Amino acid sequence: MSRASRCLAAAAALVAFACSDIGAPVRSDLYEWRIEAPAVPGPGVDTLSFHWSRNEQPVRVWVEDAFGLPDHMARAIDVWESAFLYGEFDATVVSDSGTADVIVRGGTPENKLQRLRLHSALRPECAGETQLDIDVATHELRLPIRVFVDPRSLPDDPGIEPCLALTSIHELGHAIGILAHSEDPEDIMYTDPEVDLPSNRDITTAEAAYHTPANLLAVRP
Amino acid sequence: MLKPILLPAVLLAAGVGPLQAQTDYYARAGAMWASTLVRDVLVTEVTVQQSVAPMVALGASMPISPGYRAGLEATFASGGFSAEQDGVETDLGTLRTASVMLGLDGPVVQNLRWRVGLGGLFYLPSDDRGIFLEGGPIRFVAGAGADWRRPVMTKWDLMVSARYDLHRFTTDELEQRGFSQAQGVSRVSLSVGLGRGIR
Repeated sequence: MSRASRCLAAAAALVAFACSDIGAPVRSDLYEWRIEAPAVPGPGVDTLSFHWSRNEQPVRVWVEDAFGLPDHMARAIDVWESAFLYGEFDATVVSDSGTADVIVRGGTPENKLQRLRLHSALRPECAGETQLDIDVATHELRLPIRVFVDPRSLPDDPGIEPCLALTSIHELGHAIGILAHSEDPEDIMYTDPEVDLPSNRDITTAEAAYHTPANLLAVRP
Repeated sequence: MLKPILLPAVLLAAGVGPLQAQTDYYARAGAMWASTLVRDVLVTEVTVQQSVAPMVALGASMPISPGYRAGLEATFASGGFSAEQDGVETDLGTLRTASVMLGLDGPVVQNLRWRVGLGGLFYLPSDDRGIFLEGGPIRFVAGAGADWRRPVMTKWDLMVSARYDLHRFTTDELEQRGFSQAQGVSRVSLSVGLGRGIR
């Protein structure tokens, strides 16, 4: 090989080294995060999806100071923020419930309004529910989203804290836009999950929710 | 890994024996541009890129043979970085980089000298989040450039430098998420400063 050929080969190798791209993973292992509702008007069903847009963030979360929920919800926010690579979700805890996008309370859910209710009977020690006030006709999601985390055992029960922790993550998962439940117990968004943190499928599903156009618009009444 | 870098640094700092008078020191400030850090596909393409960042460089070199010098150059840059998808940009915070390179330089013409170097590049993100959730990586870096000098004072030269370097970028978090290989990243900087002239 001549000197010129060696130089050309070296230059080609250098260009390949400098220009080649990282190999992105194929994200095909996910579950349905959207929900179906009766179409209005007319027959059939309407598929509803939601995520917080950039200009709605940071999402303001108000948390009732009960059952250690502020700590659990702060961790849940951190967990979901960490699920994303490119800053897709950002939330902050606020002290004024009147300006909150998401209101988290301890105890039994209210039943005053007709809302879409995402129940989760998590572990025996606690349960959760996320209430979404959706106008199917206008595709409006009326804020705030209401989350309830309900302890069902005594505070000294060793299972209560892990249950409250995973329920907080699960219910916040609904509030960020994973509106449906997974069918795999290994996912945190399963109705009664066997895990304490989001799985790879949960993360891939959350990414899909934030990189697919949503048809619900968050509005403040 | 740091031993080959630290040893010449200590020798340069100490100004060993007769070399002390011939040791060249310089400091420069300028700006650095870097190519795309990550290219991903989430329905559509997502790219992560650093902004043009202010940088400073400090270095020293010693003669190793007539006309040729060997030395150490440290560069520090601090700027923003952001993700971009479908024309929408998301600020991801501050990203600092620090590099240390062992280099060799020699004459081109008159006041112009070439330079090549090898070393390490440290990524220092402001927050351990997103692609840096598991921390910033240390990457092997190779570079080249040119220095132009003009005496401006008895012992000091005005120094104008251009640098190009390249490395392969990935992070522990990206690897854990199934990203394969690494992204080729090129960096280009232009800077101006003062060097202690060797007359």
